[in-house]
Amino acid sequence: MSAALDPIRVRVRVTSPRLAVTLGIVLVLFGAASIGIAYVVVSGMLDGHWYDFRDLGLGMAHLREWLNEVNAGQPAALSAFLGDQWISYITGALLGATGILTFFGLLLLILVWVERRLIGRIQVRKGPNRVGPFGLLQPVADALKLIQKEVLIPIGADRFMFYLPPVLVFIPGLLVWAVVPWAPNMNYLDTNVGVIYLIAISSTATLAIFMAGWASNNHYALLGAMRTVAMMISYEIPLSLALLMVVLMTGSMQLSTIVQWQVDHHVWLGMLMPLALFTFFFSSTAELNRTPNDIAEAESEIVAGFHTEYSGMKFGLFYAVELGNAVAVGAFVAAFFLGGWSLFGLETWIPPYLIFAAKAFGGYFVLVWLRGTLPRFRLDQLMSFAWKYLIPISLLQVLLVAIEVTAMRYMHFPDFVELSLVGAANLAFTIFIVRAWATFLGYRPEREQVLKPTMAKQMGGLRAAEEMRTR
Amino acid sequence: MTTANEPYVLNIGPQHPSTHGVFRLRVVMDGERIQDIDMVIGYLHRSMEKLAEERTYTQNIPFTDRTDYLAAMSNNLGYCLAAERLAGVEVPERASYLRVIFAELQRIASHSMGNGTFINDAGAWSTPLMYMFREREKILDLFEMTCGARLTTNYMRIGGVAFDPPNEFYPAVNALIDELPDRIDEYTELLVDNEILLARTRNVGVLSAADAINGSITGPMLRASGVPWDLRKAEPYCSYDRFDFDIPVGHVGDCYDRFMVRLEEMRQSVRIIRQALEDLPSGPHKTEIPLALRPEPGEAYARVEGPRGELGFYVVSDGGPAPYRFHIRAPSLINLSLLRQMAVGASLPDAIVTLGSTDIVVGEIDR
Amino acid sequence: MDSIGVIIGFYALAGLTVGAALLVFLVRNLLHAVLALVLAFLGMSGLFITLSADFIAMAQILIYAGAIPVLLVFAVMLTPHASRDNANSLFAPGGLLIGLGFAALFVFVAMATVWPVLDVETLHVQSFAGTVRTIGAALLGDYLLAFELASVLLLAAFVGAVALVREDEA
Repeated sequence: MSAALDPIRVRVRVTSPRLAVTLGIVLVLFGAASIGIAYVVVSGMLDGHWYDFRDLGLGMAHLREWLNEVNAGQPAALSAFLGDQWISYITGALLGATGILTFFGLLLLILVWVERRLIGRIQVRKGPNRVGPFGLLQPVADALKLIQKEVLIPIGADRFMFYLPPVLVFIPGLLVWAVVPWAPNMNYLDTNVGVIYLIAISSTATLAIFMAGWASNNHYALLGAMRTVAMMISYEIPLSLALLMVVLMTGSMQLSTIVQWQVDHHVWLGMLMPLALFTFFFSSTAELNRTPNDIAEAESEIVAGFHTEYSGMKFGLFYAVELGNAVAVGAFVAAFFLGGWSLFGLETWIPPYLIFAAKAFGGYFVLVWLRGTLPRFRLDQLMSFAWKYLIPISLLQVLLVAIEVTAMRYMHFPDFVELSLVGAANLAFTIFIVRAWATFLGYRPEREQVLKPTMAKQMGGLRAAEEMRTR
Repeated sequence: MTTANEPYVLNIGPQHPSTHGVFRLRVVMDGERIQDIDMVIGYLHRSMEKLAEERTYTQNIPFTDRTDYLAAMSNNLGYCLAAERLAGVEVPERASYLRVIFAELQRIASHSMGNGTFINDAGAWSTPLMYMFREREKILDLFEMTCGARLTTNYMRIGGVAFDPPNEFYPAVNALIDELPDRIDEYTELLVDNEILLARTRNVGVLSAADAINGSITGPMLRASGVPWDLRKAEPYCSYDRFDFDIPVGHVGDCYDRFMVRLEEMRQSVRIIRQALEDLPSGPHKTEIPLALRPEPGEAYARVEGPRGELGFYVVSDGGPAPYRFHIRAPSLINLSLLRQMAVGASLPDAIVTLGSTDIVVGEIDR
Repeated sequence: MDSIGVIIGFYALAGLTVGAALLVFLVRNLLHAVLALVLAFLGMSGLFITLSADFIAMAQILIYAGAIPVLLVFAVMLTPHASRDNANSLFAPGGLLIGLGFAALFVFVAMATVWPVLDVETLHVQSFAGTVRTIGAALLGDYLLAFELASVLLLAAFVGAVALVREDEA
């Protein structure tokens, strides 16, 4: 019987010719581009020129130098009034902001497609593939649909407070991108309180989400909002503790310095402090409301949580921010724990911002993967995980890191030896404390085996049930 | 320190992702904890039992498709057994075997759906559901091949089955039952040892054996509570007494046990189908009966082990061409009745998981 | 001495802060008043930024725009029988008195303090070295006792809160 006649569809894995051709062209282009970049970089044609595309920040710096020269020719009265470098200052700010906004907008558009396709592949289905090539225009179609939809406001809702939250949630989602260290000179806001900036900005979203849930005048929304607030407040603590370890180790709150420290010491902080990496990532999933911690918008329980009543583009904003924040978490995991824009020397000829983007999207991919795989925790389980496990363990780990940093200051071994010792100590501590703490709180997996059903041959009622149990 | 709170009433449904249809839970909550549950049913009522009194016996078979729309074959079978018992119709050997094969295929399809939506209720965002749909799809293809319909099959007839399966059916079903044990292992690997799933489902919605019997619970829920009771063994119909299979029985009676019992039953169904296919006798697939069957006045009750539990059909004849009374003992309705006992005092997510583990079909509850 | 941008920024932020603070007691809806309060806090953090006090500005956002409003909103929304109106109450005269007292105190302190005036060169050297290190050294050096006392106080408040809301086991 031929496969075509077989009513049970035989899965035939044939790559479509269109896909093969496209992939081939992309591969050839990528290879050509790589060879070209390698040639240009190795030949030394570019070094030090403003158009060195390995770091867009260099071009920016040269542009600002040139603008400053232009600025120097201005009348003295004007410069006394406006400052010496106002042209380059304003131009730089506008260009950087435009860059981030463009990136963020494109990111949100493409992510809808990426997420749905990835989840589709995980769930043995295709995902959006009708609108445009490979379904790439799907997000555009979605956005158009959302914009056209009527915005419904429930009766009894606080109209003013109902309008604000989508915007208020969007602002921090956009602002956190300012401190992302793309490349050595590509930081829009390279403030020396970058870590605190990150925590502060992301904490402001809590209020907006609570407002959304309360103003909707809907029981599901209020439940979702309460869950969100409880979870966000709880998980901000382990998140901050994880970042505190990073700050302790690198001695700086400036994101570029943190990355530079990792580059200088040829190590990723995630290797030195696996517990911090885990804590940061897990807490981020809670802050983001993503599986396995998506209890704030648990679909099967409270429909959509705090944004149950939002329709049209208001819902679109919530959805977009969620996706954008997921990549932002990937970016910050990359910056803090995975070496930022460095890749063991490769960054000298691959543009560092591409390395950084690859790492950020890697983190995002893990989030999507988790979403496609894991069930959801219960609220009380999540809370007890934060307060009983993550926070005490992280506190102990912070103490250990502080001791290690102090010890490193007084000992003068080579870097390599010191960091290996620190990494080994942290790893051993992590394994030990996780096991010890879990045992202390009563988790003994070896004692409770998962019971498979027993097989009965004889039928019976309650007595038979008791007999089976005693056996 | 106690504070007086006004009750927080949450209406879950009639449109809600995890009510599996249109029915409503009116939940009184204290924070996340459930104080009381009120179940409101009837949104899907189509008065099937009354309608059946106006149709001939054969015309009633399509109605049974539409009660439990996820297990149409089992419903057909139960009704046909009752009508045959009433009219004293003999069923050919081959038809009995075919009925077993299709009823067991239907059980696998239904349990796939039930377990998939159960995991979905636990929050796994459709992935296990999609995996289980993959195999259910192939079973539905088999149905389509045999009787032209996928969901509302209308395949059984009083006196046998409507059609002999076509020749392509046999290689396809053999390929499927060879593949299924591997697939079930795959679900097991994906889900069973998952720490989050264990945390969410173990000791949640516990129903003791005594409570289950008192509440007249049947099917996988009863067996998960530890009672070894399966009509296929206790009161064999069709040709179930000729097959070698086991009845999986749970330990605690929690949601996890229900899930595991369903998974194991899928394996046992594969065993039954394999044996039935090997011994499938030749001969006619149907006894011819008059178009307008007029049974002697009397009554008959037949019950089968449907995917959701004991599925009973009670038919009374007054000698006319249509039943005088037609009643369905719907396992979904009775299994749902103890939800209040299982969920009060638990938190909202637990109640949702418990509801998912009862594997109800609202079409059957409301009829 | 300052460039015009800083001056414009100062007046804009000061206007925002004062306006939002006025809104807090002019708005009738108590929740809107909370939002106005958040706006006032954000204006304050902006003022800190114009003073190059980056750490304080961020701490201001973290605590007064992130944490405190949630507490306020919780208190307003979850108090069962409290009116949600920002109406006149008996506390008004007392509040006015306290407010005037604080205003007088601040004015007095501001006038009486001898502010160290730095010349531009020292400012440029000092200001961008970062305030974090300075604050950290001060907290864990000169003012260690006060810092530790504050932390013990917070811990006590923390334990006390848990003890208050804990239900009796029996």
